[in-house]
Amino acid sequence: MNKSISIARYHPEQDNQPRLQAYQVQSDHSTSVLDALLQVQQQDPSLGFRWSCRMAICGSCGVMVNGIPKLGCKTFLRDYPDELTVSALAHFAVEKDLIVDMQPFLQHLNAVKPYLINSEQSAEPHRQTPAQLAKYQQFANCINCGLCYSACPQFGLNPEFLGPAAITLAQRYNLDSRDQGKAARMPQLNGKNGVWSCTFVGFCSDVCPKKVDPAAAINQGKVASAGDFIISMFKS
Amino acid sequence: MKIETAQPKRSDEPIWWALFSAGGVCFAVVLPGAILALAILPALGLTTGDSLSYARMADMVYHSLWGLAGLAFVAAAICLPLFHAAHRIHHGLHDLQLGGGLASKLLCYGLAALTSATGVWLLVKAWVS
Repeated sequence: MNKSISIARYHPEQDNQPRLQAYQVQSDHSTSVLDALLQVQQQDPSLGFRWSCRMAICGSCGVMVNGIPKLGCKTFLRDYPDELTVSALAHFAVEKDLIVDMQPFLQHLNAVKPYLINSEQSAEPHRQTPAQLAKYQQFANCINCGLCYSACPQFGLNPEFLGPAAITLAQRYNLDSRDQGKAARMPQLNGKNGVWSCTFVGFCSDVCPKKVDPAAAINQGKVASAGDFIISMFKS
Repeated sequence: MKIETAQPKRSDEPIWWALFSAGGVCFAVVLPGAILALAILPALGLTTGDSLSYARMADMVYHSLWGLAGLAFVAAAICLPLFHAAHRIHHGLHDLQLGGGLASKLLCYGLAALTSATGVWLLVKAWVS
């Protein structure tokens, strides 16, 4: 079956803003948006987009499909019988066509110290019970695709907002029984660009392809930050 | 893009968020109950004639709960919901890119504080007189 898709093209040295270009692709029941983009690239090798694993693990192929952030490999043409427009992830600077600059996202992830902090020098493994694992496991499923940042209206208004994935990652380590770094992470969450920029819109959790539920993590972070606020009043 | 290395200043948002949360509970629980008891049931004739009489209400407001019932009702039905609404308006203004800064904060929470204080003042004034 032939299907027409529109792709937002942008060449930074030639275009003032992205422009839509229509292409014809062959589509059957199993054709994903990523498959369609690969077909288009056969016709027009100048089309730029990121992809790698084709199985929703690598988080590279995030794009806007009809204005909603989606992974190209996990979104199928069969679900879009009418028009289908693919554009670059919202709220990020476009480098070329569907490729965005992920640097701000990576900086935000880095800001929350997303690694185990534990001063204990021991050759023994840090044991953990299944119940201790269950506390953070869902938040550990993030693949860093950035869809939640494109979905978040607060990140759109304020690019300094740490954002859903970074706060979820902070919460993931704060809830880990092997970690001792909560005190080092809380200052980032306590600031106005930390958990308090979130207004619980919840679209981040709707678009998350791994069902990580960043909105829940941020709201747990708000409770943690409010607790930290009260403790700080008695400390100073 | 600023690289975030410096420790950011602690936000005062927990205070407003706590008031917002408490107000949300009151909006959801206390206000519907109050509207049911004070407006809908009497209007449908489902309450007895003197259940909302001045003497009975005054006794309840000034003497039950060790004399704090009136204050508790004003806090739960007026003050906390006002702070809840103020918080929503403050953040709504930010979403509409009309504010969200210090001015809208002062305006929203200031109005909530002023109206709350008026409610408490009216209660205490009637109590004293």
